[in-house]
Amino acid sequence: MPDLLIILLAGLFLPLFPLSMVFNALLDRIQHPWLRSVLFIAWPFNGLFILLYSQVNLPDWLLALALSTSALYAFRMLSLREVNQWNQFLATSLWSLLWLPVMQDTPPALLYGYAIGMSVPLVLLAFLSAGLVRRFGAAYTGLTTGLARTIPRYSGLLVTVVVAAIATPLFPSFFIMLHLVVDSLSVMPLVAMALLLIWLLWSWAGAQLIQGLIVGRASDIKIADMGNTTITLYSMVLIALVVGGIILGGVIL
Amino acid sequence: MEQLIIVVAALPLISALLIQLFAGRIGRSIARLSVAATTLSFFISLLLLWWALTGHEPQALPVGNTSAIMLFDPLSTLLAMIILGISLIVHIYSVRYMAEEAGYGRFFVLLDLMTAALLFMVIAGDLITLVIAWYLVGVLLYFLLGQDTRSQTAYRFAFWTLITYRIGDIPLILAAALLYNAYDTWSLTSIFNEIMANPGAHQVLGLPLPEVVAALIGLAAFARSAQFLLHNWLPYTMDGPTPVSALMHAGIVNAGGFLINRFAPVFVHSGDVLHIIFFVGLITAIFGSLLMLTQNDIKKALGYSTMGQMGFMIMECGIGAFSLAIYHMFAHGVFKGTLFLSAGGVIHHSRKDDGIPKDELYTFAVEKAPNKVHQPWLLMAAITLAVPLIILVLAHLLIAQDYFQKQGAIVLLFFGWVTGAQLIFATYRMRTQNIWRLVGLSVLSLVIVVLGYVVISHAFDLFLYPDPAFRVQLYSAATIDLLRFDVLVGVITLVVVSGWVLTYYAEQKGLRRRQQTKRLWLNFYALISREFYIIDIYTRLTRTLLGFSGRLNVWLRWL
Repeated sequence: MPDLLIILLAGLFLPLFPLSMVFNALLDRIQHPWLRSVLFIAWPFNGLFILLYSQVNLPDWLLALALSTSALYAFRMLSLREVNQWNQFLATSLWSLLWLPVMQDTPPALLYGYAIGMSVPLVLLAFLSAGLVRRFGAAYTGLTTGLARTIPRYSGLLVTVVVAAIATPLFPSFFIMLHLVVDSLSVMPLVAMALLLIWLLWSWAGAQLIQGLIVGRASDIKIADMGNTTITLYSMVLIALVVGGIILGGVIL
Repeated sequence: MEQLIIVVAALPLISALLIQLFAGRIGRSIARLSVAATTLSFFISLLLLWWALTGHEPQALPVGNTSAIMLFDPLSTLLAMIILGISLIVHIYSVRYMAEEAGYGRFFVLLDLMTAALLFMVIAGDLITLVIAWYLVGVLLYFLLGQDTRSQTAYRFAFWTLITYRIGDIPLILAAALLYNAYDTWSLTSIFNEIMANPGAHQVLGLPLPEVVAALIGLAAFARSAQFLLHNWLPYTMDGPTPVSALMHAGIVNAGGFLINRFAPVFVHSGDVLHIIFFVGLITAIFGSLLMLTQNDIKKALGYSTMGQMGFMIMECGIGAFSLAIYHMFAHGVFKGTLFLSAGGVIHHSRKDDGIPKDELYTFAVEKAPNKVHQPWLLMAAITLAVPLIILVLAHLLIAQDYFQKQGAIVLLFFGWVTGAQLIFATYRMRTQNIWRLVGLSVLSLVIVVLGYVVISHAFDLFLYPDPAFRVQLYSAATIDLLRFDVLVGVITLVVVSGWVLTYYAEQKGLRRRQQTKRLWLNFYALISREFYIIDIYTRLTRTLLGFSGRLNVWLRWL
């Protein structure tokens, strides 16, 4: 298979603009949390598998395209109000950065570790978003406000998952981003600067999402909060993510 | 036993975890658990500080088999004690203050996590722990400021804080990455040893590595310590709970001064950066103080006062007086924390008082208060200008004979003189029958303050930087060309003296401003009251960016 075709195929799974629009169009049509979760895990794996299996030579311009895609989606996240859409844009922004470690010849096991570390918070957010839709009919910021007062446990978890997704310490994405910055700074300072800018945009978008959902007066209608078992399950995954993040950080830094 | 420094930082973390786990079962008693953990941690930090004071050698302590390192040294023990002291007061104050608020448990979890993050920040002996703690302080502060989840305003301004702090994270991460790439280690001690041994070993984009790293560290410190253009979040974060404001203004905002001190071995090889730091600090001090004077809201005025103080703290670093910045941090933390925690009481008191200003006839006829006694203005001006200078010079001569050979010391004296003269001028304007008694008392208090400051700052210098050669290096790094320095000091002195003499003259003669001057003055006031339009510019920029993001989404059909 010609190299360009392989790159195009990989660009579909490790989204590169404009191929990233295919992934987003697909996710727009899939609303079921389980299906979305499978996609969130499997999609970047496919891209990594294609690139690692084909051993294709990657041209330098791909790096610029990958960074531009990540920055574009991070910037577009600032004006999103729908949680599912926010989640898939973040996925696009995160996974397009996987081109960097691929081009830096990172060992395959680590690459898959990166993909998992980036995707697990997205899976959790997909389920939480579905929970919001079940409770309120939609998961829009600004429309469903005051969650911290209406369903405090649910919103606490939502906030933690968003914080995990936007590469906050001690979650895996933080260590991945730090590693990417350290690795690229000596050879490509502009790439490191771009990475830091994208990271900043995620924080901005994350704060916008949190504020649009949890802040405000409590709803007059009684809404069921999250049960103990579900809370425990989510918490265990989050703790596993933190532990995984620390271990990953120890390995790569 | 030095390992106890890790326990000091871990205790608030454990407390936060326990509260999160058992909040449902033990109810409001969680506050007791939190206070107990902080108290215990505080006493251990006192013990550690005592060891450091009695000559225990600084140590880098590895944490288990990880690459994380914690430092037991004068700076970490002193700052751990200060952080825990302030945090303990805030904890105790919050037990009742926050009792009626929703999210009582969440508040104490966040407060403990914040204390832990601050402690890990000051004892971090490796760059990764430092970056993590530095980053987490910003995130935790965002949630602490947004404790009242009903308030959109609180979150709006908490977001300003978060984004400024995140902007400040960028240079720190860059500095950490540069140092790691150059020295192939995350350990601060190893990096500093190598820099001290051979400062010119590495270059970045043709510039010496220490200069680049120092500039980046300076930028990170500017964002954290609300330096001019990165200051807007500070006075506006008053919708958060009062204990959080106290913790923020007394502790968190000082992190810039700490960071510069931690990287002192880098700054001794970066004289040019120190000059920039001095200039930024100076601008911040002037603008902060100016903006403070125009506020009619006590908390916002305190916010701008903090900005001014942070400017002074950064400025002290810029003249090589690193340890003085730590003393300033400590002193400012104590008095600003007190002011914030008593701000509620002042507001409560002012509600009982009508607050209508009384005119001279009213005070004379009803309150039987004396009229202002006017003394010869030239004599008063001379006393105001001369007395602080004499006190400062004599006090410093008592401590170190060679003090006046350092430019940094002259700059400090200069500011001491300006402040002292300001105090006497303010005293002079007070209403009293016996102006000489009042001036005498203010001179006496000035002597005590100056002597205290000189002795304590000298003690801080000896404790934090025991190596005399390193202290000299710090001061000489901040030194500028003698002629330029002399001209600068001369011009500024002339401006200050003429300003005061004019003010005295106008006060005495009751001069009225001309129409044209009045208009100019009003325009200047309007400019300050709109805070130099900086917030308007940032808001416009933010809206433009958000609008563009939205338009991009529409053009790309949200895909």
